Amino acid sequence: MGEYFIVVLLDDHRMAKIRGTGLEENIKYMFGGELRLLEVPVNEELKDKILQEFDTARVDSRGAITDVPVAFMRELFNQIVEKKSLGPEVVEAVLQKVDEIKEAAAKESEYLPPPEID
Amino acid sequence: MSRFLIQRPLPHGGRLVERVITDKEAAKKMIKGCPSYDIKPTLHYETGVPVRNVYREIMSICYGFFSPVEGSMKQAEVERILKERRLLNEWIFPYPLVFDISEEDYKKLGVGAGDRLVLNLKGKPFAILDIEEVWRIDNPEELAHLTFGTPERNPEVVKEPFNKKHPGWVIYRSLQPVVLAGKYTIINEPKLRPPFDRFWYPPRKSREEFDRRGWRTVINHQTRNVPHVGHEFLMKCAAFTGDVEPCHGILVNAVIGVKRRGDYPDEAIVEGHEAVNKGGYIKPERHLPTIVLWDMRYGNPLESLLHGIIRQNMGCTHHMFGRDHAAVGEYYDKWATQILWTKGIPSFGFPAPPTDVPYGLDIRPQNMREFSYCPTCKEMAYSETCGHKREKLSGSFLRGMVAEGVQPPSIIMRPEVYKVIVKWWKHFGYPFCNEKYVVNKEKELEVDLEDL
Repeated sequence: MGEYFIVVLLDDHRMAKIRGTGLEENIKYMFGGELRLLEVPVNEELKDKILQEFDTARVDSRGAITDVPVAFMRELFNQIVEKKSLGPEVVEAVLQKVDEIKEAAAKESEYLPPPEID
Repeated sequence: MSRFLIQRPLPHGGRLVERVITDKEAAKKMIKGCPSYDIKPTLHYETGVPVRNVYREIMSICYGFFSPVEGSMKQAEVERILKERRLLNEWIFPYPLVFDISEEDYKKLGVGAGDRLVLNLKGKPFAILDIEEVWRIDNPEELAHLTFGTPERNPEVVKEPFNKKHPGWVIYRSLQPVVLAGKYTIINEPKLRPPFDRFWYPPRKSREEFDRRGWRTVINHQTRNVPHVGHEFLMKCAAFTGDVEPCHGILVNAVIGVKRRGDYPDEAIVEGHEAVNKGGYIKPERHLPTIVLWDMRYGNPLESLLHGIIRQNMGCTHHMFGRDHAAVGEYYDKWATQILWTKGIPSFGFPAPPTDVPYGLDIRPQNMREFSYCPTCKEMAYSETCGHKREKLSGSFLRGMVAEGVQPPSIIMRPEVYKVIVKWWKHFGYPFCNEKYVVNKEKELEVDLEDL
């Protein structure tokens, strides 16, 4: 675990995508095992870059980076699945799409796609 | 009959104010030849964004939620409230409530004391204001400060000077200078729009509903939020107060009014609470979600006083109060409401709790702390009885989860409640109130009116 981390929440939909990636053993639990999550370690340099790129982002008292755009969090999860990793290359890949994320984030105050649930 | 049994309190002031004319022909006669005025929203004094609509106060006054208040307040009444939090008839009341208009509109109208003014809403006659006095707010900023208190004047509970970041302070700061004071009467009953219509229980109706359900004791839960399981446990456990048995009913009373960005939509709030009983987490026979129309002032202890008045008028015997009750920011001590209801706040005119002063309230406070999940007990646990490290449920944590489209586990939020959030998310294209929602809401309001 690095100095900082980002919490990625896992619902059933996301769990299905994680299955078989080898990341299952990194899953942590809260609320009696009801809430599953991954903690993505973030080094000092990447933390600074995130804070620089997204003015809403902050580091809480636990060292968790929070309040980044939803588009950032969605892309972070996509990269975790794609790279089957929680290593720094994941956050680096997300930051390579920073313009795309910022464009999506600008629209987030107007529209957020609702989840498909029954 | 046991002497320990608690009886339903009378309305604040001794009787319910009901100022609604249902006979349309009589209403037409009442307004014949009278000047009229289109109700306008109060706009933020700097940004121009709607921050209040006086129609909500007129509704709450005329249907008796704010009994014994009957209308827009005279200058002497406002001054007394700011000094002692009492109306001129002695009954305690926290806030000035006024019908304010611009100098320009006042000149155009040409009305004065003794005149009857027809108030139009959404282009239809809605209510009348029988003007008894015209007075002016010379300094709205001073009025705003006096309304909420200052660290110097109210050192017991006010921690920081109020400013434009406080939405209640902004409402008073944004008032227009001319006040038309007098009694309101609704002359054309508005129809609540869905889904609010099925949650509309004005005091007479709620008291009748309590009778029908056999509820002698009822505890109120104040809300501006979609319920998570912590709220649910708060309601269920607070209801164990009562007298010789737990409270018969839990009244959820959602404050519906102007919204702030990031709040949940009002539609999701009321239906979310309904989902708690539809899902059986609290039996529908014991649980009643309702609304009151009011643009929240976020006055923590003062707001709690208004909440006590509203819910006593609705027939409740108990009211639960938590930390930071109806608060934003850190202007007040986070326990200011509980201080008021247990010790009083002398600088606000309460040397004793509002239930222990003359012309005070009869509703009983139930001061509560927090529920959160204990992984050791493996259940939702009360902060004051569980000795383990617990996992806190925070609204912002939940909002972040919802925004990402991640369904919260049922130990945090019931799936039925989440479905309601998603239902309205699909409707509005957004899970929370954004600028579009806020602007549209203030255009559409919660009611429609027919022709008179």
